[in-house]
Amino acid sequence: MSSMDNFVGLSVVLTGFAKSVINPTLDEVNIKAEYLPVWTERVASESGDNQLPEKILSNYQALSEQEPALTDQQIGEQMLSDSQSAAFVLACRQLIFLWYMGAWPTVQEAPGTSTGGRTDFCTLSSKSYTSGLVWRVMQAHPMGDSNYSYGYWGEPPVALDKYTGQQ
Amino acid sequence: MSDSDVFDVVIVGAGIAGAIVAHELGKAGKKVLILEGGPKVPPDRSGYMETFYKANAKTPESPYPPATQAAVPATADNPLGLPDPAGENTPRYTVLQVDAWRKKTQSYFDYTEQEAGLTGTSLNAKFAFASSYERVGGGTTWHWLGTCLRLFPEDFQLKTLYDQGVDWPGGADFYYDLVPFYEKANRVIGVSGDKPSLERVYQQYNVEPSGEYGAEYDFAMPGIVPSLQDDLYSKSLGAMSYDGNPVYVTPTPQGRNSVPHQNRRQCAGNTNCIPICPIQAKYDATVTLADAVQTGNVEIRYQHVASNIQLADDASVCGIDYLVYDQPNGIATGSGTVQAKAYVLAAHAIETPKLLLMSNKNPGFECGVANKHDQVGRHLMDHIMYLGWGLAKDPMYPYRGPLSTSGIESLRDGEFRRERSAYRVEIGNEGWQWAANDPATTLADFVFGQNNSQLNGNSVNEQGEPLRWDTNAPAFSKLFGAELVQTLNQVYTRQMRLGYLIEQLPDPDNRVQLSSELKDNLGLPRPLVTYRLGSDYERKSFVSAKKLTTELFNKLGATEYTKAPADPVFYKTEGGPDVTSTSFQYTDDDGTTHNFKFYGAGHIVGTYRMGTKPENSVLNSRQQSWDHHNLYMVGSGVFPTIATGNPTLTIAALALQAAENIKQDLV
Repeated sequence: MSSMDNFVGLSVVLTGFAKSVINPTLDEVNIKAEYLPVWTERVASESGDNQLPEKILSNYQALSEQEPALTDQQIGEQMLSDSQSAAFVLACRQLIFLWYMGAWPTVQEAPGTSTGGRTDFCTLSSKSYTSGLVWRVMQAHPMGDSNYSYGYWGEPPVALDKYTGQQ
Repeated sequence: MSDSDVFDVVIVGAGIAGAIVAHELGKAGKKVLILEGGPKVPPDRSGYMETFYKANAKTPESPYPPATQAAVPATADNPLGLPDPAGENTPRYTVLQVDAWRKKTQSYFDYTEQEAGLTGTSLNAKFAFASSYERVGGGTTWHWLGTCLRLFPEDFQLKTLYDQGVDWPGGADFYYDLVPFYEKANRVIGVSGDKPSLERVYQQYNVEPSGEYGAEYDFAMPGIVPSLQDDLYSKSLGAMSYDGNPVYVTPTPQGRNSVPHQNRRQCAGNTNCIPICPIQAKYDATVTLADAVQTGNVEIRYQHVASNIQLADDASVCGIDYLVYDQPNGIATGSGTVQAKAYVLAAHAIETPKLLLMSNKNPGFECGVANKHDQVGRHLMDHIMYLGWGLAKDPMYPYRGPLSTSGIESLRDGEFRRERSAYRVEIGNEGWQWAANDPATTLADFVFGQNNSQLNGNSVNEQGEPLRWDTNAPAFSKLFGAELVQTLNQVYTRQMRLGYLIEQLPDPDNRVQLSSELKDNLGLPRPLVTYRLGSDYERKSFVSAKKLTTELFNKLGATEYTKAPADPVFYKTEGGPDVTSTSFQYTDDDGTTHNFKFYGAGHIVGTYRMGTKPENSVLNSRQQSWDHHNLYMVGSGVFPTIATGNPTLTIAALALQAAENIKQDLV
């Protein structure tokens, strides 16, 4: 399994979107090719552990190859469990945010406050903005990038699973 | 040959008002020159789109030059990387500057100092101005919403009918004189609208169809399809009334194409009218600018910043000086003077008074051109906005369609106008994007276990309802996979937002002056702004808007998420929090003190108003300077009151009317 294979598999588990969305057969945008190096580089530099990205991906690979097979839910729970280091879990959660917003998050925790802290973010590129899964999960389109036709907003959208690929 | 041999009219500003005047005069065979300080209209909008896509804060100004954010490395004091306006040739105020209003290297506006001893409810408290504009070819219509409502005859008689503010010169007659120009403005912009829906509104305000809103009154295109959220309001309100008025939903007439029109496409529902329509289905002034140039009589000179107005001995205008630059941050590369028979200022309600005040070298006019009676720059207004937001009982699928397709127009006039400001209510189709910076806020909450959306913690609304989305889940849940998908979907597809455009009264002390300290890169002074919410009349309407929001959401079975801001902070203390920008308090008749935040509507109005005499105004009702017979001004700066409708249709109608006046005067 390549790093990209594991990255795609982990992304499917964490985002809840199907592989057909994360890694479509015909992938003209190929946003994963932008995300993997950015995620690898940022996780390594923010954690100070150059091995962490590979550790996360191989941890995912081990779980995905376990017999009998684990469900996506079980793999996700193990990846995000308290038994992992805080940096490990944060890197997995940052991956979720990256896929949904096309932006890199900076989390400022403030435990015990009413908000629990805040998250700033930095958009990677125009391509990452329009690739954000957040627009699919709301059954809409990226603001400023509609492929729909006049009047579509007067009718309900197609079912959610058409957007997530989980049909 | 001098320019005066070439041009009949010089116009400053290539926005909608300047473009319309230029087009009308060009069609009539007049030779027109437009001086535009900003860059030219780009050959296509892909560059602006690219800037927009990459922007972290997708504010109204984010697509347009100069850069609004990440222009310099972020620091603790400047987390968004706002550029220093002192280094720019055509800086402008942006909404990202609102919270940085007291930082002179980040805010284009300078502000007068806060007086001592204020409390949260003090009417003397000063605030940041909350609205912005553009200095580019096409002007601020690049990011207008597209709403094309007329004002009503009652709007023109606020003093006569309700003893508030002022009348427009002539009162109701001003409206009737404007009617043919409203009709023409509808055609210039290309408005999609549903006539029967609007007739109901006009009849409520005693405007009869027979000629009074125009014999040929109709829209260029059929009305825009309403959103599912609009339908929900229409179905749920029943026979509701509020403060003596009926409450019903009206589809908004909009300057966007419901069918292909003016060689532009049909709206594809990009949900992005502000900051930028990617396909120009929404009208903007570049359309009319192109038409103006097509007449063969109109020339536009971009990157020409008007810097001074010259007066002749008879006090007529005899020239406008300008500075030219090549690079947005470079030095001036040239200068000159243009001359014509008549002059039109169309640089919107901040830059126009600035230019008048800068022109202070003419003998007898040391306080500025057109300013004999110290009226220039006064009466700065905006629609001060209250936002209310919530979650619908069932999905109604926001983030789809134009940003707003309907509103409540039935509360724009009534006896209550003696006591409090009137407003219209805009129904927003963009979920909590404006209200809570979504989708990012809600996403971060459920991914990282935070609660800035109030959906994932222990927040309770003012009605005492718990706001956590899943009451069976712990506070500060961190989700992934299928559960994250389900939660986000359920929340986003229910998000609703109301915006109240509250009428701000004209206050002579709300004003634009020249900063004595701050300059732009060309050495021109920057605006010095004083801005208050100085009357109970306005503040009472925030309480009214708040109560109505709660009533409306109750009718719909929606849960309210409107979040009141923390107490305002007017003074920075050692180690204390930063000063706030637009938060205030108001104690209502029951003795309850409310915390409010006001938002800008982008409607900058009133700084060179029309009036009945030179002592109370800058212009006569012909939009002509009292002091200089060949100087005219157009745009929302001429409005005596901000009234109850979005201003652009009225700006267009008044510009058409001004063009007629100028044509008459040039003969």
